[in-house]
Amino acid sequence: MAVIETRNAVKRYRTGGETLEALKGIDFAVEPGEFVSIMGPSGSGKTTLLNLLGLLDDPSEGQVLLDGEDVTGLTDSEQTAARKRTIGFVFQNFYLIPTLTAKENVEVPALFDHDPSVEERSVDLLERMGLGDRLDHKPDELSGGQKQRVAIARSLINEPRVLLADEPTGNLDRDTGRKILDEFVDITERDVAVIAVTHDELVNEYVDRTVRLVDGLMGEDAPATGRSPDPTPSPEADAVGSTDDGLTGSDRP
Amino acid sequence: MRWLRRRFPALLMARRNIGRTKVRSVLAALGIVIGVIAIASLGMFGLTLRYQITENLGDIGNQVTVQPAEDNSAVFRTISEREVREVRRIAGSSASVVPIQQMSLPISFDRGPPSGRFVLGVESPGTVYEARAGTIPENFRSGVLVGATIAEENDLNPGSSILVNGSTTRVRAVLAPGDSVGFLQSESAIVVPSTTFDRRGYSEVVIETENSQTANETAMALREELNQRRDRFSVSDNSQIADQIGQTFQALNLFLIGIGSISLLVAGVSILNVMLMSTVERRQEIGVLRAVGFQKLDVLKIMLSEAVLLGIVGGLIGAGFSILAGMVLNHYVIGDATLVLRPGNFLYIGLAFAFGVGTSLLSGLYPAWKAANERPVEALRS
Repeated sequence: MAVIETRNAVKRYRTGGETLEALKGIDFAVEPGEFVSIMGPSGSGKTTLLNLLGLLDDPSEGQVLLDGEDVTGLTDSEQTAARKRTIGFVFQNFYLIPTLTAKENVEVPALFDHDPSVEERSVDLLERMGLGDRLDHKPDELSGGQKQRVAIARSLINEPRVLLADEPTGNLDRDTGRKILDEFVDITERDVAVIAVTHDELVNEYVDRTVRLVDGLMGEDAPATGRSPDPTPSPEADAVGSTDDGLTGSDRP
Repeated sequence: MRWLRRRFPALLMARRNIGRTKVRSVLAALGIVIGVIAIASLGMFGLTLRYQITENLGDIGNQVTVQPAEDNSAVFRTISEREVREVRRIAGSSASVVPIQQMSLPISFDRGPPSGRFVLGVESPGTVYEARAGTIPENFRSGVLVGATIAEENDLNPGSSILVNGSTTRVRAVLAPGDSVGFLQSESAIVVPSTTFDRRGYSEVVIETENSQTANETAMALREELNQRRDRFSVSDNSQIADQIGQTFQALNLFLIGIGSISLLVAGVSILNVMLMSTVERRQEIGVLRAVGFQKLDVLKIMLSEAVLLGIVGGLIGAGFSILAGMVLNHYVIGDATLVLRPGNFLYIGLAFAFGVGTSLLSGLYPAWKAANERPVEALRS
């Protein structure tokens, strides 16, 4: 069963007098342990989809399912609890708290749990990320790659089922980006699904499949290998993968 | 510290955040420091002033004086032993009743020519006077007690001799200033044993009660019972004046604290400003906290802890400085710095501290609420 899923998700924004449809009916599902990238040009709705998947936003229409359970329309506090239980976030800008050490940053999501095992878990995670000697360093004493690894450790502290990454390699050089992507592959081997929204073609060398979004529509599901993806896919390019419904393009086989 | 962090995790975040913008936090806390000092020291100032004035006024509020009523007859009426017993009965056992004789006697200090002065004949002066030097004898049969002013003017000490009514008399004690009997201040009193007077009858009876309220009640009872048939006595008490003085100072104190509160209000506004700036600057950070599973209430707790922490630090420093200010105040007004340790002062310091922390809490509410209710999706959109 899919760990996270959207069914005919539509998201509209009202800006001024106009209504902008950012997502026009997305059906999307990820299995446990799968590594999926979502690609597409700016304004295609990638971030909106990630927000829906991360329970940070509600769809205007359609459903979001977490472990087969409909989580749309939950209260803020229920969504927050579900987020904490199931979802980890990794951001392009790392968003570490500058006043806390690496170890404390990793413990942040569990800060209010009064759980004595958190410290042990955070040290374990940081050691797994190769940061065993950086536990008490503040973020400004860490390199970009180290910061992103702290952020990944933070996203894993509550043992989530899904990890959502927004441009995880966006602020990293290529070598460091590869190391981070290797970490993601490691994570998927522990049955955690990783969904990365990205512009970076490098990511596609690591993912199980790539999903392309164009103008709020899902273009195709392409395997990561064997195809050289177009950085700015046109609707025709999208139509290649899913034969008959390139424009309405909402169905996965 | 570790336990505190485990117990109140919001404090860890709050403390680090305050440390992030040190100058700004110090300035915000400084506002609270000044506010707390203002309230505490103005309150203590009022209290010190009241203390000093009541010291100077002595116990007049607790005293009731019974004197013969002035009538038109030329005879100088006195109060008889029987009437004194009646007064004792009405005043009850808890009050001390001191009958006083008064007359003019020729007195000579330092072997000069005697001049007529009013002297008081008091049976047991120990109940109404305190000695500054020497001792007031329990059984006052001989000697003389003099007031502080007279002692200073004529260079008298316990053991000196003066001429009273032609006979040499030894000074037994110099009276402490502040006390008064009736309307006669102790500073200029000359007190002799009542046996010095050869005639019977007293010129007045002074009743000392426990406090001004019982003084008032005793005075009313005396007026009613002694003057049943005709106005034989005039009974006067100062309890109302004493009460009014007390009330005036209460009002003065409230007024002073009110002025002090304005500075706390300003401090509150500055904390509000600092916290609002902080929520704007840390918008994304708070968005991340919400994204990783912090409930609105958790964010509220962190932000409020920050405001309250500023208030507690400012309040503690302010309370410290207030004690210092109180010591200076007491040193110069009363002449005894340790009088700052009166419980009334701690009441004001505690009150000021509570006001300081309360102000910070109130000022933190809006920014904290604002931060907690920001939608994470908006906050994260950079």
